[in-house]
Amino acid sequence: MLLEKRRLAFTGSTDPENGFDMTVINDLFKILVFPGFLFVVNLGLFLEWVDRKIYARLQNRIGPPWYQPWLDVLKLFSKEDVIPEGASSFMFTWLPVFYLAVTVTAFLCIPVGAYAAVYSFPGDLIVVLFLLTLATIILFLLGWYSGSPFGRVGAVRAVTQFLAYEVPLVAALLTQALLADSWSISLVMARTTVGFPRFVGVHLIALAVALISLQGKLLRVPFDAPEAETEIVAGPLTEYTGRRLAFIRLAERTEMAVGVGLVSDLFLPFPARLGVFGFVISTILVTFVLSVLRASVARFRIEDTTVLAWKYILPFSALGMVLAIIVRG
Amino acid sequence: MMLEKIIALSRKSSPWVAHFNSGGCNACDIEVMATLTPRFDVERFGIQLKGSPRHADILICTGPVTAQIRERLLRVYHQMPAPKYIVAVGSCALSGGVFHDCYNVLGGVDRVLPVDVYVPGCPPRPDAIIAGIVKVLQKMESDALELADYRQASAAGGGTTHVHLQ
Ligand code: SF4
Repeated sequence: MLLEKRRLAFTGSTDPENGFDMTVINDLFKILVFPGFLFVVNLGLFLEWVDRKIYARLQNRIGPPWYQPWLDVLKLFSKEDVIPEGASSFMFTWLPVFYLAVTVTAFLCIPVGAYAAVYSFPGDLIVVLFLLTLATIILFLLGWYSGSPFGRVGAVRAVTQFLAYEVPLVAALLTQALLADSWSISLVMARTTVGFPRFVGVHLIALAVALISLQGKLLRVPFDAPEAETEIVAGPLTEYTGRRLAFIRLAERTEMAVGVGLVSDLFLPFPARLGVFGFVISTILVTFVLSVLRASVARFRIEDTTVLAWKYILPFSALGMVLAIIVRG
Repeated sequence: MMLEKIIALSRKSSPWVAHFNSGGCNACDIEVMATLTPRFDVERFGIQLKGSPRHADILICTGPVTAQIRERLLRVYHQMPAPKYIVAVGSCALSGGVFHDCYNVLGGVDRVLPVDVYVPGCPPRPDAIIAGIVKVLQKMESDALELADYRQASAAGGGTTHVHLQ
């Protein structure tokens, strides 16, 4: 759709009689402002605040003020930028930018409530999953090229953990896709309530698996072994400072917005019914569950994560898939 | 100027601390850890404990500087990105405390590094440590604003000075 528009815009703008074509501005607005770059970055930072606030309230604290995540990023942008001796300066400079680009691109395929995604086509679910995988690979490279042993250990752990949660996550989303009979996010979103009482059990199994593996995807407690600050400093991010760290932080928040947005689009009924408002409410709901999970458990060792994923979570996701096939008939 | 004010505000509101024991008896470290527990809720000020000195703005130093730790302390300090601040926590970090004339002790942290705020006590209470960090925050903000003023002044008056000198 967008490509066609681009072609139209291109031919339109080269035509001397037609002058400047408005579709270019429209597309740029969609990509850069809403529902593209600005929206998703701010949504990610907002969700970070929601997460930190809920976490604080669960510990009986007051927690940070609402503007805290924005100030954190601003401060990082204003700090000194260090490239350590052992690091590859090219990778060190460009990987954080690439990381942010990948996660923002993933969000372009996700419909914001009734507001259609910037770029949607049958099969965009697979593209989003692929881009999220790419984000993990970039995290690995971030650690690997930072020239620090902590970075390398963290990078290897990130990939090990990736093997643990990726299959259940994909299986859980596949269950939803099977029930809705489509690989397109917007179609699955529109069909979340189809066959309402009959599909609920399968939905719940898939939702539980998706939430747990999303927690692993986003490297949050209890699956934060790759960034475990008490053993390996900060994992892949150990050597990053200033601007680069700010980019990585923004990318991580965006990844969170993408993951949470994906789950709320695919599983919750509100985005399709209540539009943008419903989308934001559902992301807050999903974040709430993730924060409660984060506040109530301690960190797994990396081998325990793998065992948990393959022994206990994967059978559940497989069960969900089989049930989905049976229930759909 | 608006931007500089926002940057000063962001520096002041988001101090990430790293913690380094340069040779103390560990009681100060326990108090520093107690400061970071939910009871004192330092996240109200945006304070977060960071494992990596590369992410930190403030180095909390406890204990006297021993001859062996000096190199490591300097190294950790140089790993931090500017602008960086140091809080010396405990009598030992101030002057060497009970260890002041040991054969292997150089003295307080300020014998090696520029300390910004001293928090006395053996060990200081968490409230005192929080008060010390909040003092550093005020210093961070005024430093950022001063730097902005200086830049503005030198940008405005730089040419005149040059002519005058000739
Ligand atoms: S100031 Fe007191 S508590 Fe702190 S390190 Fe020195 S002796 Fe230990």
